[in-house]
Amino acid sequence: MNVLVEDAGPLTSVQDLGRLSQLRVGLPRSGPMDREAFVLANRLVGNPDNAAGLECTLMGPRLEFSDARWVAVAGADVPVTLDGAEQPKWTAFPVRAGGVLRIGAARAGVRSYLAISGGVATPPVLGSRATYLRGALGGLDGRALRKGDTLPLGAPAGGGARRVRPDRIPTYGDEPSVDTILGPQDDRFTAAGIAALFTGSYEMLPQSDRMGARFKGPRIEHTQGHDIISDGIALGAIQVIGDGQPIVLLVDRQTAGGYTKIGAVCSYEIARVGQLKPGQRLRFRRVTVAEAHAALAARRAALETAIA
Amino acid sequence: MIYPEPRFLPCGDLAVSVELADEISREANARVLALEYLIQQRRVPGITETLPTYRALLVYYDPAAVSFDALTVALRALAEEARPEVLPPARQVELPCCYGGDLGFELDAAASKLGLPPDELSRLHAGADYHVYFVGFTPGLPYMTGSPERIHIPRLVNPRTKTPAGSVAIGGVQCCIYSVESPGGFWVLGRTPARLYDPAASEPSLLRAGDTVRFRPIERTEFDAISTDVAAGRWRPRIVEVSLPSGERVG
Repeated sequence: MNVLVEDAGPLTSVQDLGRLSQLRVGLPRSGPMDREAFVLANRLVGNPDNAAGLECTLMGPRLEFSDARWVAVAGADVPVTLDGAEQPKWTAFPVRAGGVLRIGAARAGVRSYLAISGGVATPPVLGSRATYLRGALGGLDGRALRKGDTLPLGAPAGGGARRVRPDRIPTYGDEPSVDTILGPQDDRFTAAGIAALFTGSYEMLPQSDRMGARFKGPRIEHTQGHDIISDGIALGAIQVIGDGQPIVLLVDRQTAGGYTKIGAVCSYEIARVGQLKPGQRLRFRRVTVAEAHAALAARRAALETAIA
Repeated sequence: MIYPEPRFLPCGDLAVSVELADEISREANARVLALEYLIQQRRVPGITETLPTYRALLVYYDPAAVSFDALTVALRALAEEARPEVLPPARQVELPCCYGGDLGFELDAAASKLGLPPDELSRLHAGADYHVYFVGFTPGLPYMTGSPERIHIPRLVNPRTKTPAGSVAIGGVQCCIYSVESPGGFWVLGRTPARLYDPAASEPSLLRAGDTVRFRPIERTEFDAISTDVAAGRWRPRIVEVSLPSGERVG
């Protein structure tokens, strides 16, 4: 009923859909950067959407299973092998007791997700198994996995040979345009600054993580300084400080801060940001709240028909 | 000033900032906390989570359950009612603090910058009541004001990369207590042995928005004794609920 971590990879953590109702004490929600891939992996192996699985970063782990399970890998384009034999992604497949699963280096995208039937059964903290690394909270002792760790698993609830429809599998290599809503402090930027944000191409910098993604591109000009009276930071908020460069704040972001936020990347586009490699570029596409809500509803509906 | 009408500022597709003022004041913050309290009491449909700060409430919602327009109509009505009087009694929290020495390693430098003897700086700091506007940035960290004007001090020019948890520090008009080890730009005057953030506790943050904090100066021996008790789970700070006339709650 467990998994032995033979090799952890550089940053592999336990995640579920995240921790609610703790923003007011300074804890972000955490959870997967690519929520759709995470949910699909769970559904493939017959788990509830919120079952805990693993988020792997660039390079995945090598894991030995103590009993038979169904597993699925979704997200970044990674090689997956079971006892040395290549396995399909976005597809559930069975692992026998003693089987060794290996997730290799991402060819496109950054974050891959492993779901295991029954889910990872580390103790929930404040209602969630999601790991928040900066707060040393949740997951396995609040930290990333290490070689030699043992991950407890829950009782499996079935499973079967499900797969995601091939036309629904995302590609990660291009320059995505992500839907973005202006506000809350767009009035602190010049018209030229706002135009730069929506016409420029922005390169992701290596100093990016689950807290925030830093970008470099056309300068986003303020009307006056970048300090504000500290306020709450929503998921996807685009913070612009004095250098005029955007930082997109993500699932492990600080909950409040005192810098201007010109806009926010929509929730359903966070996955695209989380799958960008440093050096890859992205564009911000301006949408209204109403347009975003229509797109969100369409994305949610598409998720319901993604598995064949 | 407090706005005559709240501003509704979109924060992506799942949240809206309800901004009530453009100032840091007890009155503005009390209205923010009152709005949050009313949302909790009335269970407004579609609202999934709220986050209060100085003068704004960040409201998360599910657009499948409530439209942006319907949400702002409901929030506008609640904001009308959001007065400090609706809030439950505030809490007064007494936190021991050991000033100076290696725990309050910037007391002397801050005192010299302010042209005060170090003892006078710690006396002035401990003599004030601090209002917790909200908790955040790092888990359990209170944003507070209340220090006397004589000890208002510009933030450090070069923020340090590591500040020990429990450090009691001042910068500008603010006072904060570092809840976890983190970078910091405030002057560290002392340290409290109290644990501001405990992920194993049912309430992980010791302090809440709306609390009043008072520091009780202690010697190093008492700091060490309380630290031992905190580690053993045997110590809690003194917390009392106080019902003040609404006029005194703010201002």
